[in-house]
Amino acid sequence: MAVSFDRTRLGPLKDTVAVVGVGETDYGADYRGTGGRAVAKGEARYDSYTLASRALKRALDDAGLTKDDIDGLCTGPTLSSERACELWGMNPRWSGSGDAAQCIIQAAMAINCGLCTTVALVYGNAQRSMDTAYGGSRVTGGGITSYFYYAPWGLTSQGALYALFFQRHKLLYGTTDEQLGAIAVAFRKHACMNPNAVMQKPITIEDYLKAPYVSEPLRLFDYCLINDGGVAIIVRRADMAKDCRQPPVMVSGFGWSEENVDATQLRPRLKDFYHTAHREVAAQVYPMAGVTPKDIDVFATYDSFSVHLLASLEGFGFCKEGEGGAFVQNGRIEIGGELPCNTSGGMLSESYMQSWNHQPELVRQLRGGLGTRQVQGAEVAQYVHDVAGKCKSIIYTKGG
Amino acid sequence: MATPRPIRSMDPYAEQFWTYTRQKDFRLQQCSECSKFRWPPGPTCDRCLSDEFTWTPMAGRGKVLSWVTFRRGYFPEYPAPHTVIVLELDEGPLFVAYPVEMDVGDLREGMVLSLRWADGQDKFGEYNLPVFGPPAS
Repeated sequence: MAVSFDRTRLGPLKDTVAVVGVGETDYGADYRGTGGRAVAKGEARYDSYTLASRALKRALDDAGLTKDDIDGLCTGPTLSSERACELWGMNPRWSGSGDAAQCIIQAAMAINCGLCTTVALVYGNAQRSMDTAYGGSRVTGGGITSYFYYAPWGLTSQGALYALFFQRHKLLYGTTDEQLGAIAVAFRKHACMNPNAVMQKPITIEDYLKAPYVSEPLRLFDYCLINDGGVAIIVRRADMAKDCRQPPVMVSGFGWSEENVDATQLRPRLKDFYHTAHREVAAQVYPMAGVTPKDIDVFATYDSFSVHLLASLEGFGFCKEGEGGAFVQNGRIEIGGELPCNTSGGMLSESYMQSWNHQPELVRQLRGGLGTRQVQGAEVAQYVHDVAGKCKSIIYTKGG
Repeated sequence: MATPRPIRSMDPYAEQFWTYTRQKDFRLQQCSECSKFRWPPGPTCDRCLSDEFTWTPMAGRGKVLSWVTFRRGYFPEYPAPHTVIVLELDEGPLFVAYPVEMDVGDLREGMVLSLRWADGQDKFGEYNLPVFGPPAS
């Protein structure tokens, strides 16, 4: 299938919009609740709008803007745009929706088209309070997707689909459980440097291997958290960014490619590891930003499961196909290593915000001043979004 | 009474697939224009957009691509541990099933398995579920 993009039109969009504000809820404090114990699933305390509203307020404060400066709004999948606008007293001139990377790309397009100048991207998810199910009998009988189509055979959950992915990787390349475990251990180490992360207790590779399997070969610590939270990001036309409180972080490159053909059959997942989409996105995002993988100082990948990192490192050319397991060893992906990955703790250990929490972390790393968690000299950061082959990437750079 | 199983995702094309299974007939849709097989069932060929198709009998053989073992129970009908496999059928499509008449520990990449049937029922009625086991020697 022909996938192409127009480099002459895309190239000039480099650095035309900036992230000027970020806000997040108190993931750790909200997870523990009163008295320090973890809030039980289904123990409703928040709804998604409560969390989104709180994050929006914080992002506006961070930018030094008010809600009246916002003329575009993007909402995450749990929010209705109409209700969100009503709740926040906004009549935007443009609105969009989707995952975080998708919303950043859409906002960049809308701003460059002159539809709006300052877009709030807002997400909230009360998935723990609401006891959202990601597998089992509560998610069967719907439309056609590999997530529940195979329920009659007993196959369910995103985790099991990524377990099939990792099992295939093991069979083809000899990747070991110990190699995979280095990812969860590294992200947990990062979470322990992040006071806002849900998880604050370090784990060792022995802890990782001793933890129970959920869907073998994936174990407990290969799975993301289920917690409540909200995230907001303010994206603004670059020439207006200097009016804001924080130094701007530029959106320097983006790319988008999806691999949906035969997806329910699991063909792109098991026969390609989604690398076709990765390669298409890499061919767009790096030239647009004028960098290569060697220039990336901080990296973040969608990590509902640890195995996502192997896929994106291989697909974007940080290592060869099949060598992801070896690549993530010996501290290479830890802060202080060659390619620090998911430095907030990611969705495995900071907060499962379905890609949204990665953006504030990369922005903060480029602003600097994070103490022990700071990646020294960070100037170029990359986010890779790959959810079942719907791949996007954003490259951020430190503003001048 | 047939074995209760988690509910099928039903639509007019899925219904035809499952109707064949009542006679233990394993058929997938094949495009009449370009011959591409498709699964899950649906109205249109993703390669050429033709809506002409036939239900073509499958040989009932496939090679193992991957597997997963649920160590936590998700469905009451499938208590843990429960193993699910993904096969590449001789005709090309990938097919999810579970292994029968063999030890899960004996699963190997690329091993050839062949079709068996397991009875099943849900609110849409009784049917037979295609599953896979070692080829008859």
